[in-house]
Amino acid sequence: MEPTRSSGDGSGNSGTYTPEIAESLRFEEEIQSFMRENTVHPSLEPPPASGGSSFTALLGLPANQAVELLHDPESGDSPAVAAAAAVSGGGEMWRFGLRDPNALTLPSGCSPTFPSNAALVERAARFSIFAAEDSPDAASVPSHSGDHSPKLKAEPPDTESQPICPIPVERPQRPAKRKEAEKGNKVKGPAKKSRTAEEGSAKVAEESTGGDKLPYVHVRARRGQATDSHSLAERARREKINARMKLLQELVPGCSKISGTALVLDEIINHVQSLQRQVELLSMRLAAVNPRVDISGLDNFLSAECGRVMVGNGRGGVWMEQSAWMDAAAVNGGRRQQQQQQQQIWHLDLVHPHQTPSVWERDDASHLFTNPNPGTSLFGYDPASSVSLHSNQLKTEL
Amino acid sequence: MGNEDDNRSLSFINTPTPTNAGFLERGRRIKMAAEMGLVESSRGRHWSRALRSRLLPRKGNSACGCKEEGTTPSKVAEDLVGEDGDDEVMEIERRLRALQKLVPGGEDLAMDQLFEETADYIEALQGQVNVMRALASLLDGLEKEKRLMRG
Repeated sequence: MEPTRSSGDGSGNSGTYTPEIAESLRFEEEIQSFMRENTVHPSLEPPPASGGSSFTALLGLPANQAVELLHDPESGDSPAVAAAAAVSGGGEMWRFGLRDPNALTLPSGCSPTFPSNAALVERAARFSIFAAEDSPDAASVPSHSGDHSPKLKAEPPDTESQPICPIPVERPQRPAKRKEAEKGNKVKGPAKKSRTAEEGSAKVAEESTGGDKLPYVHVRARRGQATDSHSLAERARREKINARMKLLQELVPGCSKISGTALVLDEIINHVQSLQRQVELLSMRLAAVNPRVDISGLDNFLSAECGRVMVGNGRGGVWMEQSAWMDAAAVNGGRRQQQQQQQQIWHLDLVHPHQTPSVWERDDASHLFTNPNPGTSLFGYDPASSVSLHSNQLKTEL
Repeated sequence: MGNEDDNRSLSFINTPTPTNAGFLERGRRIKMAAEMGLVESSRGRHWSRALRSRLLPRKGNSACGCKEEGTTPSKVAEDLVGEDGDDEVMEIERRLRALQKLVPGGEDLAMDQLFEETADYIEALQGQVNVMRALASLLDGLEKEKRLMRG
């Protein structure tokens, strides 16, 4: 569900995470090497190797260099950097949060440097955004960076508010980095325009909430909206809740056309109530079925196996039948005599008239079932006698 | 996972009833059986656990492990609605509370979880209803045939 706060990497003080320091140091080295290669802005002297301070240096890099940095590192570093998704123009940025960084396990041996690189990622993201954009945007980056940096520092511990670097389209994603790959895919498709990014955001929010393998949540900050950590978290929650509401709307028939939360909720409540009432009415109806007497083999109906036999699609079926039968038939003790076969009979019989056999055969596809012959005897009353105990085939005579 | 437990726990449904037992009593038992069917069909769910503990008399319910998130409807209603007027929020709150009461175990759930559980619960209910309907019509058909055969 909601990602727990990651060990909040603030802008540059990631030194608190001992496990990540090693990786961050490694990353630093690479970054520094790159920085030395490129023409480094005078203000970006490679800083002393302390936790995350080098990241801030990197973050000050001009756009293209940042992008290059994003591209170049082939090692498992900077998953965040690699995670860059395509971007948005003008003040929008992807953010994503992390769960506990110690819990991060990137596939293919990527080192989970991400948490410590958070600050770097944010900055790099902002820069790379602009690299992907046209030059005018790139030019606007430095002006924005000033605005963002205080924000960056201000949002340290919030897991969810860590922007992702968008990677320009030619570098789709690092397959090794599952997180970014997925995120990158989602975000990258829409490419660089804000409108497409907005489409992606809804998708992403849903996917991130739907698929539990991703530890973070994308929240898109729209233009003019506050981007501080709290409102972002709230927005993430709200989007998540709205996504669930939409799902419920689709589930309840006739709800999609209703607008307005209250009415939709009304419909949902009505639907649940009506279903519950139907269960009750049907159980009364089943009780009205004439009780049959002398069912010697029925006592084993009540068994735990029915839970096993139950199929995801056909919810609740087997249990119901068995209990109904038992009750109707005045069972007398002695369970578990022929549970399995009985159950099989039961649910297969049930399937025949009304449901597709595939639903019920999930557990044992080899069950064959002959159509009950009407008129010979009552359904299920001669299970002991007429049922062959083969696991593959069952015949019942009715 | 608790097969034995299921067996024992559901045994009280199985107590032999004379065929002329009260119709209502049988109906009640069948309903309980139906709800157990619901429980069994979606075992991992919070509502399933809550429903089960409601149905079965259990001693020592301590190790439930259910999380009590307790995000009050009011807070979430605001999230849902945005920044609308207060009366709207109250309306929504009311409905959310009603929904919480309907879904077994709903009181413990936060809103996003509540919706998720509601969706699953609706699906399970629908499946249960289908099965019961099928069973009922099947039995009715069989009864009719039996009557025909006899006569």
